[in-house]
Amino acid sequence: MARAAIHIPDFLVQAVVRAEPTLRGAAIVLVDGTPPLWNVVAANEAAALAGIELGMARALAEQFETVQIRPRSRTQEKAAHAALLDLGWSVSPRVEDTAPDTIVIDLAGLSSLFGSEETIAHQLAQRASELGLIAQVAVASNLEAAIHAARGFPGITLISQGEEAQRLGCLPVDVLGASDEVLETLERWGVRTCEALAALPVLQLSERLGQEGVRLHEWACGAGARSMVLAEPGLCFEEEMELDDSVEELEPLAFLLGRLLDQLCARLQARSLAICAIHLRLDLDPSGKKDLQVRNDSSRRKNQSNTHEKTLTLPVPMRDSKMLLNLLRLQLQGDPPSAPILKLFMAAEPARPRAVQTGLFLPASPDVEKLELTIARLVNLVGDSNIGSPQLVDTHRPGEFRMDRFAPSREEPRLSRRKNAARSVETERSDFIANSKAGKPAIGFRMFRPPLPANVQLQEGRPQRVSFRGTRGEIVAASGPWRTSGDWWREDAWHQDEWDLEIHFQVPSSRLGRNPASCPQQGLYRFYYDSISEGWFVRGIYD
Amino acid sequence: MYIELHARSAFSFLEGASVPEDLIHMCAEYGMPAMALLDRDGFYGSPRFYLAAEKSPSSVRAHIGAEVTSETGWRYPLLVASRAGYQNLCRLITRMKLRARKDEGSISAEEAAEHADGLICLTGGKEGPLAHALARGGIESGAECVRKLCELFGRENVYVELQRHFCREEEVRNQAAVAIAHELGLPLLATNGVCHAQPQQREVLDVFTCIRHHRVLAAAGCLLARNSERHLKSSAEMTRLFYDLPEAIANTEILSSRLKFDLKDLGYEFPKYPVPDGKPQMHFLRERAREGMISRYGTDNEKACKQVERELALIEKLDLPGYFLIVWDIIRFCREQNILVQGRGSAANSAVCYALGITAVDPVGMDLLFERFLSEERGEWPDIDLDLPSGDQRERAIQYVYERYGKLGAAMTANVITYRGRSAAREIGKALSFEPEMLDRLSSLVGAWEYKDENDTLDRHFRDAGLDLDYPLIRKFLDLCLMVQDLPRHLGQHSGGMVVCQGQLDSVVPLEPATMPGRVVVQWDKEDCADMGIVKVDLLGLGMMAVLEDSIRIIRDDYAEEVDLAHLPANDSAVYATLQKADTVGMFQIESRAQMACLPRLRPTCFYDIVVQVAIIRPGPIVGEMVNPYLKRRQGREPADCLCPALEPVLARTLGVPLFQEQLLRMAMTVAGFTGGQAEELRRALGFKRSERRMKDVEKKLRVGMEKNGIAPEIQEKIVHSITAFALYGFPESHAASFALLAYASAYLKCHYLAAFTAAMLNNQPMGFYQPATLVKDAQRHGLRVKPIDITCSNWLCTLEKSVKEEEGFALRLGMRYVKGLREEIGAEIVRERAVRPFASIENLKLRVPPLQKSELGALAAIGALNFIAGKRGTHRRDALWQIERAARRAGPLFEMPEVFSEQFENSASITQEVENEPSDSASPLLPMTVEERLIADFHGTGMTVGPHPMAYHRAQMRKQGIRSAVELQHLPNGMPVRVAGSVIARQRPGTAKGFVFLSMEDETGIANAIITPQLFQQNRTVVVHHQFLLIEGILQNQDNVISVKTQSIRPLFITRAETTSHDFH
Repeated sequence: MARAAIHIPDFLVQAVVRAEPTLRGAAIVLVDGTPPLWNVVAANEAAALAGIELGMARALAEQFETVQIRPRSRTQEKAAHAALLDLGWSVSPRVEDTAPDTIVIDLAGLSSLFGSEETIAHQLAQRASELGLIAQVAVASNLEAAIHAARGFPGITLISQGEEAQRLGCLPVDVLGASDEVLETLERWGVRTCEALAALPVLQLSERLGQEGVRLHEWACGAGARSMVLAEPGLCFEEEMELDDSVEELEPLAFLLGRLLDQLCARLQARSLAICAIHLRLDLDPSGKKDLQVRNDSSRRKNQSNTHEKTLTLPVPMRDSKMLLNLLRLQLQGDPPSAPILKLFMAAEPARPRAVQTGLFLPASPDVEKLELTIARLVNLVGDSNIGSPQLVDTHRPGEFRMDRFAPSREEPRLSRRKNAARSVETERSDFIANSKAGKPAIGFRMFRPPLPANVQLQEGRPQRVSFRGTRGEIVAASGPWRTSGDWWREDAWHQDEWDLEIHFQVPSSRLGRNPASCPQQGLYRFYYDSISEGWFVRGIYD
Repeated sequence: MYIELHARSAFSFLEGASVPEDLIHMCAEYGMPAMALLDRDGFYGSPRFYLAAEKSPSSVRAHIGAEVTSETGWRYPLLVASRAGYQNLCRLITRMKLRARKDEGSISAEEAAEHADGLICLTGGKEGPLAHALARGGIESGAECVRKLCELFGRENVYVELQRHFCREEEVRNQAAVAIAHELGLPLLATNGVCHAQPQQREVLDVFTCIRHHRVLAAAGCLLARNSERHLKSSAEMTRLFYDLPEAIANTEILSSRLKFDLKDLGYEFPKYPVPDGKPQMHFLRERAREGMISRYGTDNEKACKQVERELALIEKLDLPGYFLIVWDIIRFCREQNILVQGRGSAANSAVCYALGITAVDPVGMDLLFERFLSEERGEWPDIDLDLPSGDQRERAIQYVYERYGKLGAAMTANVITYRGRSAAREIGKALSFEPEMLDRLSSLVGAWEYKDENDTLDRHFRDAGLDLDYPLIRKFLDLCLMVQDLPRHLGQHSGGMVVCQGQLDSVVPLEPATMPGRVVVQWDKEDCADMGIVKVDLLGLGMMAVLEDSIRIIRDDYAEEVDLAHLPANDSAVYATLQKADTVGMFQIESRAQMACLPRLRPTCFYDIVVQVAIIRPGPIVGEMVNPYLKRRQGREPADCLCPALEPVLARTLGVPLFQEQLLRMAMTVAGFTGGQAEELRRALGFKRSERRMKDVEKKLRVGMEKNGIAPEIQEKIVHSITAFALYGFPESHAASFALLAYASAYLKCHYLAAFTAAMLNNQPMGFYQPATLVKDAQRHGLRVKPIDITCSNWLCTLEKSVKEEEGFALRLGMRYVKGLREEIGAEIVRERAVRPFASIENLKLRVPPLQKSELGALAAIGALNFIAGKRGTHRRDALWQIERAARRAGPLFEMPEVFSEQFENSASITQEVENEPSDSASPLLPMTVEERLIADFHGTGMTVGPHPMAYHRAQMRKQGIRSAVELQHLPNGMPVRVAGSVIARQRPGTAKGFVFLSMEDETGIANAIITPQLFQQNRTVVVHHQFLLIEGILQNQDNVISVKTQSIRPLFITRAETTSHDFH
């Protein structure tokens, strides 16, 4: 039973070169890290010969004029790995996904299709080359020997049964994939090749390195009878539909989407899985650009490409196709495609279905799916960034808050709830006492979001007259400036001078309407001057 | 007129962002006549604040105070009104600090009341008592709090403080404060609660806040400043701010006028020495000095007698006998305890110090200038520095001083740790949320070259770290790094400076507990203490003193000979022959590359030559271009020129070239008629902190004096030039003489007791110029047999072993301290167990020293220290490495021996014998290490090899390539193109060498020196800095037997993977 191992040396580099074939033959360095700090994480042999070392800073690597520097690409690595697996499955369904850079193929029964083992090995190398990868292929009757030979020998290696130990002997021990600790011990022992390792007495080795030592010894001898762990084709749930006639309206589109969703949900159900995210790609007809339901200019600008993509991320895994369709519809209503649709592609990310055990005595909380639908409807109405639970932020920046995703809190234990209740009453009481002692009036403040632009006339640095939203007024009393500035290390630093202004408005203009309540005679407002944008704004009004 | 009376400096450690000098500078800019500094819980910045104010051209008064933390966390802002107030505040802070942990502590209201005399209390800003009370209980509580302050400090000493930083909450407080002040009839006081001198320094303050709270800026939120208003504001600005409360501004001037105290009125008194029979101190000192004089000079040395009398008279006049007796007392203690001690510095100019045994150099015999040490005009305390063996011996001397003068009578001086490139980059980077990896890289990049070329900027370091300065955040990072440079970070302890007082040190300066148990530090650093006129004694740890002491002990124990450093043979020919050859590795002060390059030209033949040698390789003579003229004159290549006949007695002994500070002083005294004190003033004016104005004044005086003495103008010019060029980094002759004594002693011991000296050197590492590997190789080249670490006979320290053959003398056995990763307590345990009975096997070793970890066993095995554990059976290192893997592996619970059995097992001799005789599988299947592997293991495990030098294995191949050995270079003609190779043992880029790099490369025959031009260095920076073995081609330079290679090309040499080390960039 022969096995062929395929190993891609310098996998990270090859993955990048595969996407950029002009780099082939060049000294290549891959860098990775958090910008602006980049380190060398991989380099091919040519780059190493030029003096590049792993861990080197990008700035230093840039000093080597002969090397090409590229960022590490995990996407390309994933694609290269998928291609490697495709290569395996292209010749046999029995493929082991050993490592990102290594696979093993069971060659049993392939000779009638492809010829001798050597021919198969050559074909595999050839196919790898066609896929843009330079592979090292080794064929052996022993799975581990094939893997180690593929990692250690360039080109194609064929190992006959019984010759494993002899052929592997010259390879360095690190092809065996030992742990760092064991590799260090072997290095100290001067055991650097498989042959040297195989020569050690196994019993004494086991006393020193334990089972790992025995296993490595076995591999070094070319022995080992592990079965293949077959890779299953990935959990890929994708559906697509090409249309004879382009779809222009949302309703027929929804119908088609519903079909796709039904198919996907059925497939997932067969595998006892649910969906945690849906990726939708709509290929558009470039000739017939026409908004379905264009909401504003910005969405039009956004969708200039020939595809329209949407991702629906779900708070919990679901499999209800109707619910999912509603959610997708709402998303598309909020941001519709800009042209008729020619093709639909839908991919579902699978997840384990949600298992919930609710308490017997707990009050019923909203159903998560329904809540999600409601929120999606609200998002559709008010926009994505305007829904959720507002949270105060620890900053001096005036009016700052953030929106957290709305999620009903889970039932707290009775004791802590009581404690919290007690504490909040206590806090309120002490606040009340403090306020009343300090003689503070209970005053409310309504904030304008966004703040209203205003014109303010100053006299000796103090506001005298204001106008905003079509009204004008004289300042009766002013308190300020109250100065805040901060986030000086960020690009959105702020520096504002606030004023509390009591304004006496002039006779209301007819534009303000006839309702006296809508055009007050006077009011207490908070204005601010933004030193960065150099403008005046109304922050809000005191009630 | 507004006066700022509530300001913090960066000495509030992370609560202020400007140094006191900056505050004073801004204060002067605004024309403010005074300012008060109130740092948190201390007077850390007060001396600098006071001195900056003194030096300020527009006379600013420096008021002193502190913010003192109360038990509830808020702080009393206290201003010192009188000396009594200062002393009270000092005592209050000391009491608080000494009972708490470092950087903690608080005071109670009772303690505040107890120490309230002479203090004025403000109600404070947001950290103050009033703000705290208002927040807690509103205006009633606030009024109550102010009433309480009035009770504690007296109504007339409480001011209701108002601060306006454009903040609503603050204004609410202010309104309450005004109401309370009116209700209680107290004065209002406007302050700005200053935390930085200029608005932009708020950014530094924010970063400091993050560091203090262990946060990053992005998560610090409301901990950060609300705005940038806590900077020093002008009188006009403050008047505008408090337009509605003019009395708050006016009161600042009134309060300032009430603050009568300043720091010159410190009230420091040096302690009196407790004379045994109640006689006056002077009498006792006179007796001790006379006794010493007779023992040093005999009875008939009239010159010495006169000098001693003259000095004693001055000491009496300046009322300093106590100081001399206290130092004498420390010396006496050290002598009694067999601790080597020697005075250094200018004290060696004093015959009294010599007579008292404080110094070892005869100032009369060497005609040293007493005024350099002590003069009437100077009005400063003398400065005596004592060198002690570093380590425990010095600690004993320090503890003696503590015991003798009590906790409040003696303390160490502080050492203010400031932000430097590395620490600044790390902490600011952390605050800006940079990744730890990036911080590590930044820290490692900050260069350590002494010479900084124009490319050695922070910009450059950042770019090298892969940081793009076009990123705004990175640019901000760089700006902040530059802004925090030299700002204080925290208070450390000075290595040896001690201040002593008449039992009341806590009323002169606050004291704090040091991190080291049993130690107390003052809040001022050494310079501040000196500036404030507090006398100090430096008890400095000197590695060479410890080496000398250890050498003497080893010689006594192993050679059975007694060496007395005070009576070494004076003109030992072997010593001078060695010095003339520059064969000085390991010798004190004369071992560096620069010293070695000078020795063959100077060719010392007497002790004074060593004094000159020690002094000549200094920045002063080098920058002043004195070295070459001196050496030329010494070699007879140019005549000695003493400028004018009057200077001959002064300059003749250094051939007309001024080399010492004393000569500078004498020159001024001789040609310009300066008194000793005036001459010392001249030295200070030209000294390290030289100011243009003072220099001009002194130069003018010098010229007037010379004019009066009829010195020709061209000679005047020469004299002025030589004095001004030299004085910057001058070296006192007395100090050089003290060091020369140690240099001679180290040379003598190395020449005559090489084994003992080398063992002592190795046992006191790190010290000196070279790595232990170089010291060992040098000793081996001088014939010493160095044996490797062997667990069956090595101790923790290096020891001597008597060779079997008598004529071979002693061999040196390396100690286990050189096993990297082996803990000292494990080493001691091994030695203890070995003394009970030898180890039978590695298993036996592990069984008897259970805490021995696998990594430690591995380290011992890899360097061959376990090869002889079971007798000399030819075990090799790999055998031991094979065995330790089994010995260190836990047997598992079933087979592990319970503790109780283990003890029985251990105690049963027969069983033990049985186990020990049990055959182990010591014969490993592993091959012995190759030479290269052994070299790698040696350097990795011990940092050295006692076998041949790595270069020795490749000599034949080197010869084929035309590569010369270090020793061969001595016989080649000047100007010949050569190739040399070796392992780099030192890289230097001295500040005085204009960017030239000097490499010392070692091979099996010795050390070769190479010189690299700045251009060549720039082209080969990576090779020069990162490669340990180099091949250099260049032109041989042999000038007066000083040999070096002027490098033309550099290549890395790949001959071994052994991790050799070098001593770089010093």
